[in-house]
Amino acid sequence: MKKVIYSAIIALVALSVFQSCEKDLPTNFKYSSYEYASLDEDGGTWKPVVLTSAAQIAIPAPEDPGSASYQAELAALKTASANLTSQQAEAVDYWSNNGLIRWNEIARELSAKYNMPPAPNGDDTYTAPDPANPSNYPNFPFAHPPYASRMYAYWSAAQFDALIAAWHYKYEYNRPAPYKADNSIVTHLPQTDLPSYPSDGAVVAGVSKAILTAMFPLEKDFIAEKAAEHLNSMKWAGMNVESEIVAGDSLGRGVAAVFMARSKGDGMKAAQTAKPISDSLRTAAHDRWGWQWDNLEIPPRPVGITPFFGQVKLWCIPDVTTVRPVPPPAIGSAEFEAAAKELKDYSENLTDEQRKIANFWSDGPGTYTPPGHWNRFAAEAIVDSKLNPLRTARVFAYMNMAIMDAGISCWDAKYYYHYPRPTQAIPGFKAILGVPNFPSYTSGHSTFSAAGATVLSHFFPNRQAQFEAWAQEAADSRVYGGIHYRFDSEVGNTQGKACGNFAVEIAKVDGGE
Amino acid sequence: MNYKPTKALLLAVGLIAVFFSKTTAQTPNDAIMMPKGELCVAAIYGHDSWDEYWEGTLKRNNGNIGTFTRQSVMGMFSLGLTNKINLLGGLPWMKTDPSAGQMKGVKGFQDWGVWLKARAIDIPVGKGSIGFYPVVGVTGPSSNYAVDYLPFALGFGTYELMGRGIAIYEHDKGFYVRGSYGYHLRSNTTIERDYYYTTHSVYSNEVDMPNATSFAATLGALVIKNSLKVELTYDGMNTLGGFDIRRNDMPFPSNNMEFTRIGGSLQYYFPFLKGWSVLATGGYMLSGRNMGQTTSFSGGITYQFGLWTPK
Repeated sequence: MKKVIYSAIIALVALSVFQSCEKDLPTNFKYSSYEYASLDEDGGTWKPVVLTSAAQIAIPAPEDPGSASYQAELAALKTASANLTSQQAEAVDYWSNNGLIRWNEIARELSAKYNMPPAPNGDDTYTAPDPANPSNYPNFPFAHPPYASRMYAYWSAAQFDALIAAWHYKYEYNRPAPYKADNSIVTHLPQTDLPSYPSDGAVVAGVSKAILTAMFPLEKDFIAEKAAEHLNSMKWAGMNVESEIVAGDSLGRGVAAVFMARSKGDGMKAAQTAKPISDSLRTAAHDRWGWQWDNLEIPPRPVGITPFFGQVKLWCIPDVTTVRPVPPPAIGSAEFEAAAKELKDYSENLTDEQRKIANFWSDGPGTYTPPGHWNRFAAEAIVDSKLNPLRTARVFAYMNMAIMDAGISCWDAKYYYHYPRPTQAIPGFKAILGVPNFPSYTSGHSTFSAAGATVLSHFFPNRQAQFEAWAQEAADSRVYGGIHYRFDSEVGNTQGKACGNFAVEIAKVDGGE
Repeated sequence: MNYKPTKALLLAVGLIAVFFSKTTAQTPNDAIMMPKGELCVAAIYGHDSWDEYWEGTLKRNNGNIGTFTRQSVMGMFSLGLTNKINLLGGLPWMKTDPSAGQMKGVKGFQDWGVWLKARAIDIPVGKGSIGFYPVVGVTGPSSNYAVDYLPFALGFGTYELMGRGIAIYEHDKGFYVRGSYGYHLRSNTTIERDYYYTTHSVYSNEVDMPNATSFAATLGALVIKNSLKVELTYDGMNTLGGFDIRRNDMPFPSNNMEFTRIGGSLQYYFPFLKGWSVLATGGYMLSGRNMGQTTSFSGGITYQFGLWTPK
């Protein structure tokens, strides 16, 4: 009998060891709503990125507070927030009083979902995603790093301009929050002195729905569902009456349309060039430098990723040649051989720590890309600093504009110098990360990360050491992984800082400092 | 001394059949028991390869891998603690290689395994006997190998608790029929990045590993005065959960991995070399999901001797 009990105890302990780890793994950022560190009453005077003025998009004036229609809206809000179902309470908690964090997270999820290179067709050819037929395989878009950086940039900059406009109208109309007009309204988010017409949460939802649907057309229904829930959450939370939400949503959509108009002419359409243009870039580089990059996949891909991304319209930098780095070392030169030796040494003797760094920062297919990783860091710093939605959008906007500019600069260098990867130029050399479908010099990870770190360090100076250390590690990770030479990462890091500084200089004078 | 040396071989082959899938169906799978005080040690070389794999249910090749090869060298032992309880253990060293592409394979010690097997039932029935042998075991990673590097990764880096039941009918004339079914309980594993996408985002470096079941059905016979054993086995594994590899994605530890396989084995005990035997196995995957369609073979030697019961 004792034997049976002992073996049962052993079995149960063993079972618990194996099964106790089965707690749910987090699928999003766990944070709570917070009291804003500031309200930024003058936010409506800040300089927008694209809008000609904060009042460029018109919204109707709110009804008089004494009007019957407003009183009816207050009554409806009182009912809506009085008795929440558990699902409604969860939605309020999820969307919080800074919905930008959640929409940024949704943007990251979609960029991961769509970040997958097309498979070869049976006959060794490849098909490119077609925006006119997004549901054909391969689905549109292929959210590679250039595409992702552009998506994050348009989403953030549009949010910033829309919230500047919202703040302008908030303080023009000075409509007190519904729970101040009627203090019997139950609220489930922190109360503030922010005027509530238009609803800033609704602005965020309106911008997000418009931009993200344009960027991920197959996700139209999913995004619409999320936006509807976000809009409802403001009523469930007792924060905004219907007309405030309608005005905010319409303002968001109006500003998003201005940004989508800019996007149609920014050069991205021509970035994924046809093969003849791509081949001519290779030939030009070979004539100019004596080397060229080739795609060594089997079967080979006919065109690299967005050879003309370097010609896409910049946000903060006047001319891409301003930030173009010097040429890389000639193949076979002393500097090249030293870099090759370093790579071979790492490949033969990689420590566990170095391998871990390579994997931690790889952010490759199936992930949110390096721009996404920095958006994650930004979201954490924003919540930690208790920024209000306008200031949150400001951080995302400058960071993502800088990151996209850094990507444009990096891709300009990549296809201008057309430098072969270590697996191409070093005989017999193999990598531990997948080799991306674009030339080597300079490293995208290094430029994206340095730009992100530069901007975030400006907004969160007490975290500068951390951001810079992360950017350095991201740069090193590509050398450990065997897909970049040391000079790709070093020069990329400097290049990214320069791009980030252009954004910082604009932020310094936009009124928000 | 009337011990049956061939039984040690059968045991060893059972162990081999097991270690040779990249998956964790690492369980002793036969009905052979070491007598009390006897130890069998074995060294086995194994070779798995595939050109095609199932990406979910889509069978395809990948020019950037070409032919995938996994080689291993394994040391194993089985020890008769009593006549009815055996302790088994093993540790493989493995090396993976692609034949094409720009990435490199890996090498190193994979997972250690320890099992206890018991003879619960062994009763004569007509012209033969039936037996039932329960097994429990644990496997775990023996080194800090990269987990999120499939298909090249040495293993899944997970701790697994396994329970298996083996039933056998042995005819006095030397042929037998054997069946087994096992359940594999897996701990979470850890990867080196803290974001990944399965069918949704996960913000963690832990991966929830699905559990699995395994089965095997074997026909066997002892011939040439019991010195040669021949077996034919149909076996497989089913993962309870997990997700399919997305189109053109790399595999991931928590994929829904399944296979069925047909295989055979031969082992020969040398009449003139007391305690020694040689063995060979071969196998081919018939169906699969999120796995390479693997052809495998192995060869090895075993030696059995009395540890505290001198012969």
